[in-house]
Amino acid sequence: MRRTVRLLTGTALAAAAAGLAAAPAYGGGASGLDVYPSTASPGGQVSVNTAACGEKGSAVGDAGSVGAGTFTLAPSAHEGEAIGQFRVPAGAQPGTYEIVATCAAGNLRVTGDLTVAMTPAAGSQAQQLQPHGSVKTGVGAALGTDSVQTTAGVAALAVAAAGGTWLLHRRARGDGI
Amino acid sequence: MRKIGDTAIAAVTVVALGSGVWLLGPGSGPHTAPPQPSAAEGRPDPGEERLAAPALPPSPPTRIRIPAIHVNAPLMGLALTPSGSLDVPPAGDKNLAGWYEAGTTPGETGTAIVAGHVDNTEGPAVFYDLGALKRGAAIEVDLRNRTVAVFTVDAVEVYQARDFPDEKVYGAAKRPELRVITCGGGYSRTTGYQGNVVVFAHLTGSR
Repeated sequence: MRRTVRLLTGTALAAAAAGLAAAPAYGGGASGLDVYPSTASPGGQVSVNTAACGEKGSAVGDAGSVGAGTFTLAPSAHEGEAIGQFRVPAGAQPGTYEIVATCAAGNLRVTGDLTVAMTPAAGSQAQQLQPHGSVKTGVGAALGTDSVQTTAGVAALAVAAAGGTWLLHRRARGDGI
Repeated sequence: MRKIGDTAIAAVTVVALGSGVWLLGPGSGPHTAPPQPSAAEGRPDPGEERLAAPALPPSPPTRIRIPAIHVNAPLMGLALTPSGSLDVPPAGDKNLAGWYEAGTTPGETGTAIVAGHVDNTEGPAVFYDLGALKRGAAIEVDLRNRTVAVFTVDAVEVYQARDFPDEKVYGAAKRPELRVITCGGGYSRTTGYQGNVVVFAHLTGSR
């Protein structure tokens, strides 16, 4: 759902951006080019993807702003998105860079931001905010019994037992059923 | 007259018996408790650990498959709750798992975290059988860049919530590792599940 909304807004904003030519830099998703991770360290690999070029649409990526040159975004099976990768040059300076992709068909231009931070990859993992504590992933419905249902069940069985006893008693007396 | 009365009693008895069995039976409400790991599935000796595959470039995961327990579910991004614990996917969708989006992607060097429900109000959910998983089982994660990251289970543990080993479960790793978490560890009517089943796995291949 969130994905669909993002794709729709992404496509709409990308179209608007193309009309305006020099589009202001929105966030990655909003302007139609997802950059992942959005913060990378020098030497790190970055994936970008966009749904703006349509089903089976490829694109040319330009990461020249960060010194990584051009790359290709190939169409993928994943939700009809075009996907590409590039490597941040080892000598890249910290800062925010605009990554551009231009659709092969229609020349639609979409952009996303990449932030380069000096922290080495291993260090950034360690500094990430880790979750803590247990995870609330169950309600116990798989084993806890609905008390109303149990009560009803027990009552029904009690009625059955009473009825059965009565009938057996009658049969034992030879009254027949 | 008596005969009619007897027939009525017999009918009521049969109906009551039927509905009693239906109300209390296994198909309607209560299910058996989800499987819990045995001590044999605990962490192996360090020397026993299988060799890790080289790390994959970061790409967000889209799907998780655990063939041994018939899991095949899409993955959504998860954040942290205000208290700092990992948030969970909406309980209404019983075949949906999530991954900690601000953390490591599965296949990247570090500890990637996946969580899903053991059950919801309607019964068993995506990770109901997680506690039955054995060491050596395969876990496959589809990545958005069309790679499939293949992990091998190292251990299946169960931890109590009041004594949860954060560092062991969430802490950074030097190789690409994966944790798959669901509820477990006994159930209390007042406080729910007492802890979590945690599967420890590491990357052993990709395709």
